[in-house]
Amino acid sequence: MISVFFVASCGLAYELVAGALSSYLIGDSVLQFSTVIGCYLFAMGVGAHLSRYVTDEDVLARFVDVELAIGLLGGASAALLFLGFAWSAGPFRALLYALVFLIGALVGMEIPLVMRALNAREARFADLVSRVLTFDYLGSLAIALLFPLVLVPHLGLVRTGFLFGLVNVGVAAWTIHAFGGAVANARGRVLRAGAVFLALGAGFAASDRLVYFSERGMFGDDIAYAITTPYQRLVLTRWKDDLRLYINGNLQFSSRDEYRYHEALVHPALQSLPWARSVLVLGGGDGLALREILRYPNVRQVTLVDLDPRVTELFSTAPDLTALNHASFHDPRVHLVNADAARWIESTTDTFDAVFVDFPDPSSFALGKLYSVPFYAALRQRVSAHGTVVVQATSPYFAPHAYWCIEATLREAGFHTAPYHTYVPSFGEWGFILATEDGAWSPPAAYRLPMRYLSAEVTREMFAFPPDMTPPKVEANHLNTQALVRYFDEDWHRVIR
Amino acid sequence: MRRRDFIAAAATLGAGGLAVAGFEDSQRYDATIDYPGRAIGHRLRDARELPPPSETWRTEVLIAGSGIAGLTARRQLARRGRTDVLLLAGPERHGNAAGGGDGELRYPTGAHYLPLPSRESTHVRELLADFGIITRDPYGERPTYDERFVVHAPAERVWYRRAWQDGYLPTEGVGAAERAQAERFFAEVASFAQARGSDGRRAFAVPVEHSSTDARFTVLDAQSFAAWLDGRGYDAPGLRWYLDYCCRDDYGRCATEISAWAGLHYFCARDGDAANAERGAVLTWPEGLSYLATHLEAAGAGAIVPASVARLRVGADGVEALAVMTDADGGNPRTARILARYGIAAMPLYVLAHVLVDPEKHGFTAGRDLPEYAPWLVANFILDAFPGERPGVPLAWDNVRYGSPSLGYVVSTHQDIRLDRPARTAFTAYHALAERGARAGREWLMRASARELTELAATDLGPAYGWRLPLCTRRVAVTVRGHAMAVPRPGFLSNAGVRALRTGNGPLWFAHTDLSGVSLFEEAAWWGYRAANAITGHPPT
Ligand SMILES: Cc1cc2nc3c(=O)[nH]c(=O)nc-3n(C[C@H](O)[C@H](O)[C@H](O)COP(=O)(O)OP(=O)(O)OC[C@H]3O[C@@H](n4cnc5c(N)ncnc54)[C@H](O)[C@@H]3O)c2cc1C
Repeated sequence: MISVFFVASCGLAYELVAGALSSYLIGDSVLQFSTVIGCYLFAMGVGAHLSRYVTDEDVLARFVDVELAIGLLGGASAALLFLGFAWSAGPFRALLYALVFLIGALVGMEIPLVMRALNAREARFADLVSRVLTFDYLGSLAIALLFPLVLVPHLGLVRTGFLFGLVNVGVAAWTIHAFGGAVANARGRVLRAGAVFLALGAGFAASDRLVYFSERGMFGDDIAYAITTPYQRLVLTRWKDDLRLYINGNLQFSSRDEYRYHEALVHPALQSLPWARSVLVLGGGDGLALREILRYPNVRQVTLVDLDPRVTELFSTAPDLTALNHASFHDPRVHLVNADAARWIESTTDTFDAVFVDFPDPSSFALGKLYSVPFYAALRQRVSAHGTVVVQATSPYFAPHAYWCIEATLREAGFHTAPYHTYVPSFGEWGFILATEDGAWSPPAAYRLPMRYLSAEVTREMFAFPPDMTPPKVEANHLNTQALVRYFDEDWHRVIR
Repeated sequence: MRRRDFIAAAATLGAGGLAVAGFEDSQRYDATIDYPGRAIGHRLRDARELPPPSETWRTEVLIAGSGIAGLTARRQLARRGRTDVLLLAGPERHGNAAGGGDGELRYPTGAHYLPLPSRESTHVRELLADFGIITRDPYGERPTYDERFVVHAPAERVWYRRAWQDGYLPTEGVGAAERAQAERFFAEVASFAQARGSDGRRAFAVPVEHSSTDARFTVLDAQSFAAWLDGRGYDAPGLRWYLDYCCRDDYGRCATEISAWAGLHYFCARDGDAANAERGAVLTWPEGLSYLATHLEAAGAGAIVPASVARLRVGADGVEALAVMTDADGGNPRTARILARYGIAAMPLYVLAHVLVDPEKHGFTAGRDLPEYAPWLVANFILDAFPGERPGVPLAWDNVRYGSPSLGYVVSTHQDIRLDRPARTAFTAYHALAERGARAGREWLMRASARELTELAATDLGPAYGWRLPLCTRRVAVTVRGHAMAVPRPGFLSNAGVRALRTGNGPLWFAHTDLSGVSLFEEAAWWGYRAANAITGHPPT
């Protein structure tokens, strides 16, 4: 019965591994999950059917074989998928479904074989069915909970895969041990189990390197760090002096030109606020905007609210990253809050002279709400009388409807806006919107601090929009319709097409 | 797939890891069942011997019932400077607008949304403005609403042919002829929405009392909505399922049992616009309309007492009532006598019929005039995680399944504005038991085991999430409403007894959505507002 528990755990785990990995690699998690599960279920039906062709004498031996095969295939599935994807995205789907089908068919044979084996040896059938299902149920429950909460965050997908493979081998070995003589050719099977065990063990030990090589294949550069948090997967790549951060596969910055982005984000606002004392950053867990803000001696306190403690921890400890952000998280003026910025903004009573909003792009209905009239209205409550807000607002060139929708939304929330844009080579043309309560704002004519990128002239150009970036007619992002999410989607589809 | 089929499939598939859902002997959900009003209801109905009153309470105005009608009356009295008011909450505080909670989660156990109020619903707009929900131009063509409370996109989706699509009425994968028929229906409805009778009033208005009495429209009350649809050639199966869904959702019964006038009222009357939302948008809160009930309560004055009225009558100088208090289980009854200058009976008619002395004196004869009541099941699935979604449009606020006899489910955390989705949520499933007779449905509900109730409640959630649902569900809070709402059957508009109660009788006034014959927040609020105005000497507007 214990083996039923483990068998069920592994069965569910492979399905989850395949679903999660394909979502991570090719996106679109709902579709991915459901097609993988559909295929898996179907294959299980096929497997259950095939199990009928196993003769009664063979049941135990075949069960051992099935376990070993599942162990090998299932255990290595995540690694194979990862490597397969890095190698070429085309046949990836074929590989994915082939693996899912094979594993599903094998898993489908497990329970019928167990039942028959046990039925021949002990217990009343009715009793047996209920006990098998109990353990099956418990095993699945354990995995459904362990998988997202413990295994993936701590071991990663690839290693989790290998771990379950090892469990299957364990079940096989235990079966041979427990039923001894009843298993045909026990000796040969022990050897096979040993071989599979070694192979999986090696895979388990080498999983980090496997992932490293495949991500290197994907991103083209060396991987400096890679971590999976409950919220996202971060990969940092290095090629010569270029450090790049990808979150869920999307480029966040390149160390070659991030100063352009962050100077443009911070200085037009702060140069004009020589009296600013308290600053708020929403998002920005890389500490790069922080680095620019901390250059102002008049700034006494900076509150940074970022969701993911693993990210802010990485950027406050890893040497190449602290070199890049000038150890900004260690500045005593910085007050770090790991919280959901949208929740935090509802509960805080502090006000700030400058606020920098650096959220992920509005690519989903959930994220779109952070670019909405009520969110900006709540933000407005937190800005001091002559304070300034700057919002990262996607690309006015590639996503003009989205960009100008954000601008219209800020105005709808009662702000006066000053939209601007700049060129960041690794991103392309990028946009920001500066918003104030009184509208009495004009771009700075000079900067007190030395800049790598900004100058009076560059700044003037930033606030001018050339004819090919004329604002289209858009509506503000009201939560009832969430026009922004639609604009964003349509704009980027046009670019990719 | 029904649960039984699923078990069968799981068994034949030998479905290893997936047979989770198939464990026949286990209790799938940890459930609590609430039967609001049942214990005291039986006590009043069976008129069991009550102990004599031990004390007498005096008040200027007695309100019996803490639903939307009673609470609106109490607020309106406070606005008119009347604070010597005693409100008896009755068996359920907030009535059909009640809500519940689990930790940080809030969820509805009854009504969950309010459509943007129409132009005529000034009584609703006024209180929304007072509560800060309308932020600008409350009586204009297009008021501005606090967007946190206007349903966020995606508002609704429908499960059709193995995928979720936008809206309630499937459009993708539906033939052109069917779509054209749906368009014809909505065009016809739009013209009814504009129509006015010879008395200058709108054909269909909220409050219902403001609707035209022109026979051109009231004649629609003589037939069922289904018969009217048949006569107009609306026979596309998709459209008919949708219209039937609407009847069950608003009135608790199928189109065959609903007055055509009521069926059209649903589509024509609630046509409010907003500066910052689309027509047809609704206002909603995690706890449903209990948000408004709580605000109404805070805006009133005078004590609120957890007691019910067992007898009510017009006395020599005002209203006389007998109040009963019991323990939570309905036991250990105690009574008090109440003498009031005025009374507002804000309870449903089926209760009023039992407690009002000589209802015939008020023009109401229970045997003739009492409407049929539809039973409802409301079940809150408290989830520790969001179950994985199937293909198509992402999780919406309201999620319905095409062809289902049930009414789908609403997501209580939908209105959250968050970077990351919350760890936990509540899905509220509604089922009106329209597939059974009203009485048979009610009897079944009262008899059913926790397991039968949760299974019925999962009619739509089950197919949507399969084995993931029990895995994610921590517990299910079931609310059984045996007499949830009066059904507007054909002929309801001309119900003489109900009409008689609309006009108060000197010191005693009635206030409940049952006076409109349809069960809506705006109607309940209207009768409360109107009764308070009448008592304080302000004629109805
Ligand atoms: C499941 C469900 C969902 C709904 N959804 C919506 C919706 O989304 N939008 C919408 O607009 N409408 C909805 N409705 C209708 C809406 O809830 C009602 O129209 C409205 O809440 C009715 O308020 P009321 O005050 O008229 O009556 P009730 O809510 O019935 O209140 C009656 C009150 O009387 C009290 N009472 C009963 N007996 C006694 C007694 N003997 N003595 C003293 N007090 C007594 C009760 O405790 C209760 O407080 C829904 C209804 C149901 C059942």
